[in-house]
Amino acid sequence: MLKYVFKRILYMIFVFSVMSILLFILYNGIQGDPARAEIEPMKMKLEPAQYEQLYRETRARMGLDDPLVTRYTRWLGKTIRLDFGQSIRYQRPVIDVVKPPLQFTIKINIFAVIIGLAITIPLGIFTAVKKNSIFDKSVQVFTIIGYSIPVFITALLFMYFFAVRWRLLPLNGMETPNFKGTAAELRADQIRHLILPLIVMTVTSLASITRYVRAAMMEALSMDYIKTARAKGLKEKAVIFSHAWRNALLPVITLIIGWIMSIFSGAFIIESMFNLNGMGKLYIDSLYAKDFNVVLAVQLFYVLIALIGNLLVDLSYGVVDPRVRVNE
Amino acid sequence: MSMDKNKELSTTQTPPPKKTGLLKQLFGNRNELDIYTEEQVQSPWRTVLRTFRSNKVSMSALIVFLIIVLIVFIGPLIRPVDLGYAEVTQVNLGPSREYMAVPDELLKDLNKMENGRSFGVGINNSGKVFIWGDTRITNRVNIRNVPDDLPPLVDIAVGDDHVLGLTKDGSLVAWGNDRQRQSRIPWELEDVEVVQIDANYQTSGILDAQGNTYLFGNVKNMDYVEFHEWQGKIKKIALSVDALVGLTNEGKIVYFGRQTNSYSRVPEGTFTDIAAASKAFAAVRDDGEIVVWGNLSYRGEGRVPEHESPAVQVEGGRYHFTARLEDGSVIAWGENTYKQSDVPAALNGKNVTYLSSNYYQNYAITDNNELVSWGLKGYLLGSDDLGRDIFIRLLNGGRMTITIGAVAVLIATFIGIVIGGLSGYFGGTLDLVLQRFSEVVASLPFLPFAMILNVIIGNTLSPSQRVYLMMVVLGLLSWTGLQRLVRAQVFSVREQEFVVAAKAMGIREGNIVFRHIIPNVISVIIVSTTLSFASSMLTESSLSFLGFGVQPPIPTWGNMLFGSNNSVVIQTFWWRWVFTSIILSITVISVNLIGDGLRDAIDPKSQER
Repeated sequence: MLKYVFKRILYMIFVFSVMSILLFILYNGIQGDPARAEIEPMKMKLEPAQYEQLYRETRARMGLDDPLVTRYTRWLGKTIRLDFGQSIRYQRPVIDVVKPPLQFTIKINIFAVIIGLAITIPLGIFTAVKKNSIFDKSVQVFTIIGYSIPVFITALLFMYFFAVRWRLLPLNGMETPNFKGTAAELRADQIRHLILPLIVMTVTSLASITRYVRAAMMEALSMDYIKTARAKGLKEKAVIFSHAWRNALLPVITLIIGWIMSIFSGAFIIESMFNLNGMGKLYIDSLYAKDFNVVLAVQLFYVLIALIGNLLVDLSYGVVDPRVRVNE
Repeated sequence: MSMDKNKELSTTQTPPPKKTGLLKQLFGNRNELDIYTEEQVQSPWRTVLRTFRSNKVSMSALIVFLIIVLIVFIGPLIRPVDLGYAEVTQVNLGPSREYMAVPDELLKDLNKMENGRSFGVGINNSGKVFIWGDTRITNRVNIRNVPDDLPPLVDIAVGDDHVLGLTKDGSLVAWGNDRQRQSRIPWELEDVEVVQIDANYQTSGILDAQGNTYLFGNVKNMDYVEFHEWQGKIKKIALSVDALVGLTNEGKIVYFGRQTNSYSRVPEGTFTDIAAASKAFAAVRDDGEIVVWGNLSYRGEGRVPEHESPAVQVEGGRYHFTARLEDGSVIAWGENTYKQSDVPAALNGKNVTYLSSNYYQNYAITDNNELVSWGLKGYLLGSDDLGRDIFIRLLNGGRMTITIGAVAVLIATFIGIVIGGLSGYFGGTLDLVLQRFSEVVASLPFLPFAMILNVIIGNTLSPSQRVYLMMVVLGLLSWTGLQRLVRAQVFSVREQEFVVAAKAMGIREGNIVFRHIIPNVISVIIVSTTLSFASSMLTESSLSFLGFGVQPPIPTWGNMLFGSNNSVVIQTFWWRWVFTSIILSITVISVNLIGDGLRDAIDPKSQER
C-alpha cells in the first residue's frame, strides 16, 4: 500500500509540473512588459538615454532577459512559497486577495456537499430497491431533466420564484447593503443570503449523483451474494444496507470525491450569478479586469484541487478495493 | 460474443422483408414477431434499431430534436439575423402580434389612426378613442390608462410612448410616458387654440390657430428656435426625432433650427404636404413630385421610387416613407426589416382614400372601406434589450449552439478514437505515454481553462473567429472520456479471432485498428458521442452565458441569456430568458434521452438492471 501511495504522489508531482509549465507558458504569452510597467511613471522625469538605461537595468533586475528555463525555475520557487506577486486590481499581495474567497468557497461547498449527500444517497438507494415503481420512474424523469438543464437556467428559475415572485429570500449578494443591527442579526441576514445559492447548488448536483448511486446500487443488488443473503433469510434491511450498500459504496466513493472536487470549479456560475464573493467570482472578475497574477493563482488552485481529487480517488480505490493494490 | 452469434445466424437465414406503415416503421412493431424469431433473424444493428424504435421516450426525443434542428437550420435561411441591428424604440417589448389589430368598430366611422412604438390609437368621427396593441410602457405607465373624463377628440398624434389629443374647442390632452415631460402640457399652451399636433420620440409639437409653433418634451435634444422669423405664418408642422419643420401658408418649407445641417437644406419650391420620419423629412411639391431631405441613411429613406401619377399625401414611419398618389395607389420606400416598405399586393388596382404610416406600421383604407395594413405585427417572442427580435435570434442562436456542439464533439471524437485506438491496440510504452498525456488533459479544470484560453487567444480574434476557437477549445478539452472508453473496448477485442485473422492476412496494423477493430466498438462510441454532444452544448452555453464564449452580437442560446440575472429582467422582461431557457433545455434533454435510449438499445443488460 505504501508503495502504491508513493507511486501516486510521484505521479501527481509529475502532472503538476507539466501543468505548471503549461500555465507558465500561457501566462508569459499574455503579460505585457512588467519592467516597462514599473518604470513608466519615471518616463517624464528622465532623459531618453537615462530612461533606456533604467529600463535595461530593471529588466536585468527582474530577470526578464534570462532564458525561459531559468525564469520558470525562479517562478516555480516563488509559487511553492505561495508568493504569487501583486494583484493589479487590489494593489495587495495575491495571497491576501485569494484568502477570503477561498474560505468562503470551501465553507459553502462543505454545506452543499453535506446537504447533497443527505438527499442523494437515500434517494438513490430507495429508487434502486423500488426499481420501476412509479416513484422510481418519476425520479428518473426528474434526474434526466435535472442534469440536462444548465445551472444558470435552474438558478434563474429559483431566483424568479423565491426572490422575485414570492420575495422569500434576497436575490443576490452576501448581505443587505448598509445593514443595521446587532451582530447576531447580521449573521442571520448573511445566512438568509446563502440559502438560495445553497438550494440551487444542491438541486443542480442532485440529478447526476442520484443516478450514479442508483446505478451502483442496482449493480450490487443484481449480484449472486444478494440472492444468497436473501436465501439465508436475512432481513431485507440487512440485505440492502450491509450487503448491497457496502459493495455499492466502492464506485460511489470515487464518484463523490470527484463530485466534491468538481463543485469547486462548478461554483463559477452560481457564485457569479448570486454575486457571492467566492473563488469562482474572483476568477471571473480577475479575468475581466486582466488581473492575471490573481488568475494564475486561482488557476493553480483549481489544478491542485483536481489533482488532489484524482489522488484521493486513486487512494480510495486502493483502500476499499484490495485488487487494485495487488495489481499496481 | 452474443453479437457474433447473431451475425452467424443472420447470414444463414435471410429475414423475409416485411412491409409496414410509416408509424410502425418509426415506433416499431413488437407484436408481429415473437421474441425467438426476432432473435434469430435480426443482425445486431437491426436489433439495436428495433429496440431503439420501440423505446417511445427516446423516439419522441429524437423526433423533437430533429424538428428543432430543422427549424434552427432552415429558419435562419428565411429570417437571417442582422448582426448590427439595434433599435431604441423597440427595446424590451413583450410577445405580441397585435400591433396592427385595429378594432372593427373604429373602421366603421374612422377619423384618424396612428401607431406608436408597439400600439395604435385611433379616433372615430364622434371623437371616441380606440387603443390596440401592446400598450404597456413601463410598470406604471400604460397607454390604455386614458385620462379620466376624456372629452371627444378631433385629432390625435402618437409619439413613441405618449399620445396627444386635440378637443373640439382647440385644447390639448396628453397621456402616456412623462419621463421627458412629453405629455405634460406647458401652462402657456392653456389659452392657445391648437389646430395641429404632432408627436415623435419623446417630443410633442403644436401648431396654433395663429400659425405659431410650440415644442415640449425632450427639447434639449432638438435644434429648435422658439422665436423664429417664420412664427405666425405656418399652416402645417412635421416633427422628426430632433427637428421641427413647418410648411408656410405660401407653401414654403422652413426649418425651425439655428444650425446649418442636413435639415436646414430645405428644398425650394411650393409644397402641399410634409411628413417626418425619424431622421428625414419628405414633402410633396405642387407638381406632385416627392422631395426627401435630412439625414438620409443606408436604410434608403432617400430612394423615392418612380411614380407616374402625382403624389397627394406623404406619411413618415420610423425609417420609411409612404405616399398616396392621385390615382389612388400607394408607394413606399426606406427601411424594410419588417416589410414595412413593401406595399402589399392587396392594394393593387384599389383606390386608397386614407393612408397612415408610423413607426413600423402602415394602414391604408380603400374607397370601399377595406383596411389593408402592413409592416410589423409585433414580436412573437418579444424583443431584447437592443430592440432585436428574440425569435430571429433564437433561430440563429440555435444554429450556432448546435453547430458548435456538433463540431466540438466531432473533434473530440476524432481525437478520442485515434488516441484510444492506438493506445489500446499497441499498448506498452505508447499506451503509457498517451495515457499520462490524457490524464494531464483530464485533470485540467475544464471551465476555468476554457475561460482563460478564450481570454488569452480570443482577444486577438474577431467575433466570428472566436466561434471557431470555441469549437476547438471544447473539442480539445473533452476527448479524454471517450479515449478511455475506446481504449478499454479495443483492449477487449484485440485478441479476438477476427483480429488474429486480419493479422495473419498481413493487413497493416493501422488498418487493423481503424478498419477492423473500431467498427466493432462503434456502438460505444455512438452513445458516448451523443451524450457528450449534450454536454458540449451545455458547456458552450455556460461559457457564453458568463461572457467567455461566443461574443455578442453573434447569438447563441447561452449569450442570449447573458445579463438576465437581475430582478428587473427576471420579472418584468421575462420573455428575454424564458423562451431561450425552454428551447435550450428541451434540446439538451432530448439529446440526453436519445443517448440513454441508444445505450439501452445497444446494451440490453442496462435495461434489465
